[in-house]
Amino acid sequence: MVDEKKLQDKARETLSRDDVRRLIGWKRSTYGYEAAPAVLTDASEADQLIFDPTCVQNPASFISLEEKKPVPRGQEPDTRKIAVMVKGCDSRAIVQQLVEKAYNRDDVVVLGIPCIGVIDRRKAEKLFGETGKQVKAKVDKEKVAVDIGGDVKTVDRKDILMDKCLRCRYPNPLVSDFLLGDEVEKWADDDFADVDEFEKMTPEEKWKHWDEQLSKCIRCYSCKSVCPMCYCVECVVTQQKPQWTRRSTDISENAAYHLQRAWHLAGRCIECMECQRVCPVDIPIMELNRKMTREVKEMFDYEPGVDAEAEPLLASYNPQDPEDYIM
Amino acid sequence: MSEEFEPNIVAFLCNWCSYAGADLAGTSRTHYLPNVKIIRVMCSGRVNPLFLVNALQQGADGVLISGCHPGDCHYLEGNFFARRRFMLMRKLLEHVGVDPARVNMSWVSASEGAKFKDVVDEVVTKVKEVGPMDQFRRRQINW
Repeated sequence: MVDEKKLQDKARETLSRDDVRRLIGWKRSTYGYEAAPAVLTDASEADQLIFDPTCVQNPASFISLEEKKPVPRGQEPDTRKIAVMVKGCDSRAIVQQLVEKAYNRDDVVVLGIPCIGVIDRRKAEKLFGETGKQVKAKVDKEKVAVDIGGDVKTVDRKDILMDKCLRCRYPNPLVSDFLLGDEVEKWADDDFADVDEFEKMTPEEKWKHWDEQLSKCIRCYSCKSVCPMCYCVECVVTQQKPQWTRRSTDISENAAYHLQRAWHLAGRCIECMECQRVCPVDIPIMELNRKMTREVKEMFDYEPGVDAEAEPLLASYNPQDPEDYIM
Repeated sequence: MSEEFEPNIVAFLCNWCSYAGADLAGTSRTHYLPNVKIIRVMCSGRVNPLFLVNALQQGADGVLISGCHPGDCHYLEGNFFARRRFMLMRKLLEHVGVDPARVNMSWVSASEGAKFKDVVDEVVTKVKEVGPMDQFRRRQINW
């Protein structure tokens, strides 16, 4: 794991650079199993930064969120960079944003962190119950030690890590200017067993499952707000003219919303699982994205967020694309 | 009166090939099934998969997207993009339990009036088999 002292020193050094405007990382939250995101502007704040398995949030979501205010006449726009700390999965979001030219590579300073896994809050709450205390955690090759306000509990890491970590293929950042800590070995692989399992259902069972799940949706749009790939200034689901999805939360509109969300992430989703993590009503949103990821991989041999030079999937084509259903 | 299920098919036809093909089918007095409601778009690449979801919400039982043959697109490559899109959208709809027979795509050129008739007949037969679309149809039309 990463030495926190080294991490804070590097952050301090980065923040004191003239060409860096702010740094996004993680700090200890007041309570609960998840660390809070930290947006720092001054080098003196750097000692609150941490990295441990509670750092679930994807800081790459914040890069494109900054409001771009009009520059007053006579002033130069602020062209300083944003520094961001990323785990392996978060770095894929940056790569994909670079593919889509959301910003230039020179606009960000990436501090990469090799990561073995992060805690799933829902799994932890199932094991230890909800907590009002501050949580720290440590992970090694076998076990996760969770320190809940001084009370240390050790569990097998398969029982508490996020699902994405149990099939993580990129534990080391794919893009980074500085690597904090040594590279770690890949310990898991992705065989899409969960999608295969889902596909065994009949169409009626599938719809019954989605009818049940999507009816819960309250359309808070957390999933789209937190998504590092949803950075459009005006989103198609909230625009009024034309209004594609109505705002009522019945199953028709909810299904349309979730279908269009999954569709807009086809060939772009980098599986950071933020959407599912933030969902207040526990909809398994990733099941839709996982299906898309697998189809994209099988049909077009394309993987988002790996190669910053690649063409975006749906903005390119191959004359030999499959067309077996076309009459 | 026995009522047989008559499906509603929304067809998005490209202006340059398929719409002309449908026109040819009409002018040559070919009888194709009247279940299909045609919407003319400039290119099959213009059809946003949201159109499709919206059509299914608003009472369509099946959708047909039709464009020029690959390589014949008036805008050179629009139908290639459309092909990728609807391939994915079909898989996504299949994943939520919508029968993939409801999403159809075809290449019909301006001279293929007879093919357009065959396509429409086949789509209508397929959708008739899977029955009415009642999964996420809008229940409150005037809300």
